Amino acid sequence: MPTITRRRLLAGSAAALALPAFARAQGAVKPRLTAISQWSAGSDGAAITALGKKFEEKGGVWQHSPVPGFTTEMMNKLRAQIIAGDPPACSQLKGPEIAAWSKIAPTVNLDALVASAGYEKVVAPDLAKLHKPGGKWISLPLQIYSTNMLYLSKRAMDKAKADKIPVTWADFNDLAEKMKSSGITYPIANGGTRPDDGQKFEASLAGISPTSYRAAIMNLDKKALEGPEIRAAFAQVRKIANWMDPNMGAQPYATNLKRFVDGDMGMMIMGGWAQGVLRNGGFKFDDYIIAPGPSDNGKPVFLLNADAFIFWQRSEPDLQAGQTLMAQLVMDPAIQTMYSQITGSIPVRTDVDLSGDGWSDGQRRTAAALKDAVANNQAVLSLAHNMAHENGLTAAMIDVLTEYVKNKTITPEQAVTRLAEAVEGAR
Amino acid sequence: MTDTVAAASRTGRPIPGAVRRLPEYLAIWVPLLLSAAHLISFALWTIWISFTPSTLVPVSGWVGLRNYTAVLATRNWKIAFDNLLLFGSAFVLLSLVTGLMLAILLDQRIRGENTLRSIFLYPIAVSFVVTGTVWSWLLNPGFGIQKLVHDLGWTSFRFDWLVDRDMAIWTIVIAAIWQSSGFAMALFLAGLRSVDADLVKAAQIDGAGPVRMYRRVILPTLWPITITVIVVQLQFAISTFDLVRALTNGGPGIATQLPALVVYDLMFQRGLLGRGAAAAVLMLLILLAVLLPYAAWRYLQRRRATHA
Repeated sequence: MPTITRRRLLAGSAAALALPAFARAQGAVKPRLTAISQWSAGSDGAAITALGKKFEEKGGVWQHSPVPGFTTEMMNKLRAQIIAGDPPACSQLKGPEIAAWSKIAPTVNLDALVASAGYEKVVAPDLAKLHKPGGKWISLPLQIYSTNMLYLSKRAMDKAKADKIPVTWADFNDLAEKMKSSGITYPIANGGTRPDDGQKFEASLAGISPTSYRAAIMNLDKKALEGPEIRAAFAQVRKIANWMDPNMGAQPYATNLKRFVDGDMGMMIMGGWAQGVLRNGGFKFDDYIIAPGPSDNGKPVFLLNADAFIFWQRSEPDLQAGQTLMAQLVMDPAIQTMYSQITGSIPVRTDVDLSGDGWSDGQRRTAAALKDAVANNQAVLSLAHNMAHENGLTAAMIDVLTEYVKNKTITPEQAVTRLAEAVEGAR
Repeated sequence: MTDTVAAASRTGRPIPGAVRRLPEYLAIWVPLLLSAAHLISFALWTIWISFTPSTLVPVSGWVGLRNYTAVLATRNWKIAFDNLLLFGSAFVLLSLVTGLMLAILLDQRIRGENTLRSIFLYPIAVSFVVTGTVWSWLLNPGFGIQKLVHDLGWTSFRFDWLVDRDMAIWTIVIAAIWQSSGFAMALFLAGLRSVDADLVKAAQIDGAGPVRMYRRVILPTLWPITITVIVVQLQFAISTFDLVRALTNGGPGIATQLPALVVYDLMFQRGLLGRGAAAAVLMLLILLAVLLPYAAWRYLQRRRATHA
């Protein structure tokens, strides 16, 4: 047995140390990616972990630091890192925040990568615009959700002896009444969080009039903000609120998923991510139906919510190589398929075939709804999930919505005035 | 004196008092100055930020009082301020009464006093986040106390303050009292024990009953402690954050907002650093409104003492 002398050991370690340097000199740096996101657990955590595995399979070093909680919690870490001059190579960020944050630190121009992947052709134009503020791609959308999907509990439908999926708000209200009279105390499964309350309103307004939603909520047109559609939307929200379990406090919607599946609660207005959570919780696709949210003109309305990655400028060659690899992966149809099948979203690419086994009927309906909605100009940006405005303005509007949901003494007329005032005050 | 002699004999020359006491000065003044500088510089920085148009990150610039007028105009701040008045007074008063009652009861030379004292004092050792979370479960009508009473058979029992936007602020009062009346108790107990025994004996000889003894003899000696407890509890009330965040998170809706929650919300949730800083400065002003009179009172006390 050869004895390991001190000298040999030293020579060996020197060689081992020199090896990566040599490899780098050859232009073959090992791609490395530092990333932060809010996705730490459940289906979201599983999806990003799977993405990381793919990154490692391609020879990369995956360094993901999840920051659990709401997106804003992740943003606090991002802000701290940017101020310290050490931004992650890539971070989660979405909607108008992409444009806002890109002003405070340099980002990576992804135009060449996007062009070589032919990605622009397969992304909905409204969505593309959000990810290329100033005309350059600096971020890439990863997956799409609609925040106003209607979940129907099969058992609750059986109890109410109903089999028709509601199309308009009138249908929806009829079904809720029917469920209530068949002994389902709370026809609506809800959470008590701010986005949850916001979703009730945006689903109502967009379903009543997508045109009004676009003018009032997205473009903040003063006249539209005080229009009759807004009043009607608040009136619909009041109906929904009266069908909800008032004991929810500030708990997340997922608390009620079991009661929903068991048929103790009937319907849920939630984004496609609930499918991922339901699946992760061991429930079957047969337990519930997912359909586009109620729309009074009969054509689906799509309240767009898209998760994305933004790429921050780094000078390290390994991080730059990592950013290239990550961008290629995010645009890859196979990766988008894998990701969406875990989380319950639909792919950003419009050319992905959803007829395969891994997809649910709900996802197929969502994708079809997006296509229809885009064709009919009924795809709008979600307010409750920070797609329509920057956080400051969004939060001021949600203040009004969440107070309205919880305080039944506020009339729809008062709510309209308060919403208009909140917009005025926050601008 | 002996120190000086010893030091002088070693070096052959007496060491000036100031040099000899250098370690003491270093030990006291360096940390004091550092923490004062730390505190003051950050306070000044926050005040500066409150006059700038900072949003996601701090920027320089001048917007005058715009951040202040914007914050003062929001419903969030109005609700937070009203809640602070209600929560602050209810919490201070009730924790004072509870603490005093506990202290008096413990003062009756009962068996197991040490154990009981530890039990009442223990909640202080628990983090506010834990207190908030546990109480949020206890008070949740769906699976807390109300559910328990329902399951025991009294089905018309209602205790749903947590989800009632008018009563929700009282759940915070309850949790805060549970947490900190032990602190008031400890201070009062120390006060009760330091009452001059001769005074008590004299009162006993004069035939004062227990109620009269407490009312006329013992409690009047406790008022300096009462002031201290009030000031400590008030500054806690003004800066309450973690308890509310864990218990109601400002809800239902925005019914239980408190100033510290508004500051955090503006700075870190909405990305409006300037307005958040303005709200923080407003909080500082409320704190000063409590602390300055206290400092003035202390100053007058001391002056009166030296004059006497």
